[in-house]
Amino acid sequence: MNGDYSKFLQTFFEEVTEHLSVLESGLLTLEQNPDDVEVLNRIFRSVHTIKGAGPMFGFTAMSRFAHKVETLLDPLRNRKFSATRQIIDLLLESADCLNMLVVAAKNGTVIDENKTVLDLEARLETCMTVTAPVPGQKPAPSQSAAAPAPPAPVTSARQTYQINWTPGEDLFQRGLNPLKLFEEIGRLGTVTSCVLATSHLPDLADLDPERCYLSWTCTLETDYPREDIESVFEFAASPGELTITALSSSSPVAQPTQEPDPEPAHSVIDEEDDPRLAAVFFGQKPDSLGAILVEQKSVTPAQLAKALDRQETIRAESKEHKAEASMRVDTEKVDKLVNLVGELAITQSMLSALGGHFEIKYLPILQERLLQLERNTQEIQERVMGIRMLPISTVFNRFPRLVRDLSAKVGKNIQLLISGEETELDRSVIESIGDPLTHLLRNACAHGLEPPEERVAAGKPEQGTIRLNAFHEGGKICITVEDDGRGLNRDKILAKAIEQRIITGNDTLSDDQVWALIFRPGFSTAEKLTDVSGRGVGMDVVKRNIEALNGIVSIKTVTGRRTIFTLKLPLTLAIIEGMTIRVGEDTYIVPLLSILESIQPKADMVQNFIGKGEVVNVRGAFYPIVRLYEVFDLQPEHKNPAEAILLILETEGERVVVMVDEIVGQQQVVIKSIEENFRKVDGVAGATILGDGTVGLILDVRGLVKLARQGQEIAV
Amino acid sequence: MSRVILVVDDSPTMRGMVSHALNEAGFETKEAENGKDALIKLTTMMGEGKPDVIVTDVNMPEMDGIELVKEIRKLSAFKHVPVLVLTTDNTDEKKEVGRAAGATGWLVKPFDSELILKVIRKVLPQ
Repeated sequence: MNGDYSKFLQTFFEEVTEHLSVLESGLLTLEQNPDDVEVLNRIFRSVHTIKGAGPMFGFTAMSRFAHKVETLLDPLRNRKFSATRQIIDLLLESADCLNMLVVAAKNGTVIDENKTVLDLEARLETCMTVTAPVPGQKPAPSQSAAAPAPPAPVTSARQTYQINWTPGEDLFQRGLNPLKLFEEIGRLGTVTSCVLATSHLPDLADLDPERCYLSWTCTLETDYPREDIESVFEFAASPGELTITALSSSSPVAQPTQEPDPEPAHSVIDEEDDPRLAAVFFGQKPDSLGAILVEQKSVTPAQLAKALDRQETIRAESKEHKAEASMRVDTEKVDKLVNLVGELAITQSMLSALGGHFEIKYLPILQERLLQLERNTQEIQERVMGIRMLPISTVFNRFPRLVRDLSAKVGKNIQLLISGEETELDRSVIESIGDPLTHLLRNACAHGLEPPEERVAAGKPEQGTIRLNAFHEGGKICITVEDDGRGLNRDKILAKAIEQRIITGNDTLSDDQVWALIFRPGFSTAEKLTDVSGRGVGMDVVKRNIEALNGIVSIKTVTGRRTIFTLKLPLTLAIIEGMTIRVGEDTYIVPLLSILESIQPKADMVQNFIGKGEVVNVRGAFYPIVRLYEVFDLQPEHKNPAEAILLILETEGERVVVMVDEIVGQQQVVIKSIEENFRKVDGVAGATILGDGTVGLILDVRGLVKLARQGQEIAV
Repeated sequence: MSRVILVVDDSPTMRGMVSHALNEAGFETKEAENGKDALIKLTTMMGEGKPDVIVTDVNMPEMDGIELVKEIRKLSAFKHVPVLVLTTDNTDEKKEVGRAAGATGWLVKPFDSELILKVIRKVLPQ
């Protein structure tokens, strides 16, 4: 392609990704509402844009395929026939295929004669002819012909045609550009000559500049059939204006019959537009460095191949990296930020004015302005974090399709209801919750919901419902996946757990503990394996992934009625709400999310059990105590639990009590990794810089639970 | 004084690429993302920096390129501004519609920047 458009490549991929998601969600809407012209127009535009922009970067396979899809969408849009389930299926498959082509293009992989693509292209074409013979929908020849590597035309014999074209006098008034027509002709093959006849030009005095007095004769060598040449002129020439004569294919190129123009410079296709030129240059590309080196025997061909391979990998890697390194931000967000920075500047200048002639009587004003500064800073912090926020719909969008496909696979009628998709979440969290959510949905489809007969027998509607909801709750994001299926079966899970020797028949477990069993690796109660789910891998991965994000998974279930999985996630990974606590001279931070409550115990609440160590009795439940000063080897203020403060922490459904001297207060802390700067420290999740400039360690609750467990084996 | 060209396309990639090609050749460009947007921008450009040529896509939300051409031809200030249609559509029906609406030329995507520049130089008012 001409010009340097590489810098638009990223814009292109961002745009295409948006179009692909429009396409998929549009198709799903269409399935519910086959005659929604608005949606049809929208998806048509998306495909159309991909088709149009793709070839600018040389992505011809992508463009060609988009064209095929578009050809099917067009009659739908014009209500020539309506979208049946089969058509939607085919279009969805095509959307996947298009996505594959886009990914391939992004990674620089060349997909040419891919089977999936060819197969789908054929099916799209069959669908067109079977559904309705739509007249005049033959693909425009320039689409494929404009590509650097046009697909092989149907006829194989190379033919030479002489084309005589005497356009009507109103050619220019009809907004036509003869140059473009010849361009198109040039794309069909090799134009060996093109001559302009000016014999009909009147004298200058009689000349009407808006009329066309010219005619052309050109010779074209092409593999395309005559109809393709005609189609170029279809619009431009009325019958009688155009003659196309086949010259003998073997004979040397015949000269045009018309006498050559006295001014040869008038040839319409000037040199730089001539496609022949490109063909000539192609063969004469300067030798690559590698070829020269091989020739000089500086390297062996094998070495060269290896080096090239490496180059390619590095190129691909850097491309991938680039794609992730940038993000699109709503202009509105940036504008607000700019505003805020303006306010900050005003506050700052007010403060420095005050500082210039400060007297103690201005103290209240100083305090007020400092407060304002704090407000500004806080708001800017929030807004900057907001830049990293994306609506959760970016993840949710793919689920209607998933559930649709799964419902067909498992033979159940399933409806997915999504709400709260506008809820915003940190980009990095968004990227990581896709897989766990997918898994929960798969599970709900495969296990949670009963087969239709069973549902009807249980007096439920035949159609199963899965609700996916996201909302804010106390500085956290909650995502719930709820199905109105059979619920978890306590007895079945217990039986399985006993069979797998996770527990013994004598253990008495609370419901919550039983439900927690399904998060154990390798645990599955499914009787038969399906390719949807049931291999016992997954739920543990779900839990691990969510916890890696500082989140919590919990289950609520009513046997026979419903199961609800709730994911609680922090808004962002970089900042957490923390509770500052003190042990002796040192300050620690406990993630607020994991604190259940804090108590000042009476002496008789703390007991020592053999084999369980020190425990505290809180309203009848016993929790192990971890004395923080012992863990970190500190000098505490209090060694007697009755004088100290106990924090009850929870993680992964397990509870632990941590003994500290004092609760200092609550604050937002920015997490800095210790592991990256030092090494992993047990019981410490990270560090932060406190208000007075000292470093505070953030406690790792999971680690503390493990510490509490050392020397005391608790069931699950 | 550089010549101003208004580029209308709903695809940011396309807009960017067309503008880039034109800027490289020394033209000043303005961008609009659909027909409606273009009309608004034209109205504000009426005083100064009126575009010398308009290049528009056809398939756009809000108002498509064909409608845009029709509207432009109704405005006395822009009636004579050449409007080039740049589209993937290459069917005769579409071209006829474009011609009837009053488009000056019909260019096909994927575009050849050389060709676009040539055409623009040809239609530029002296």
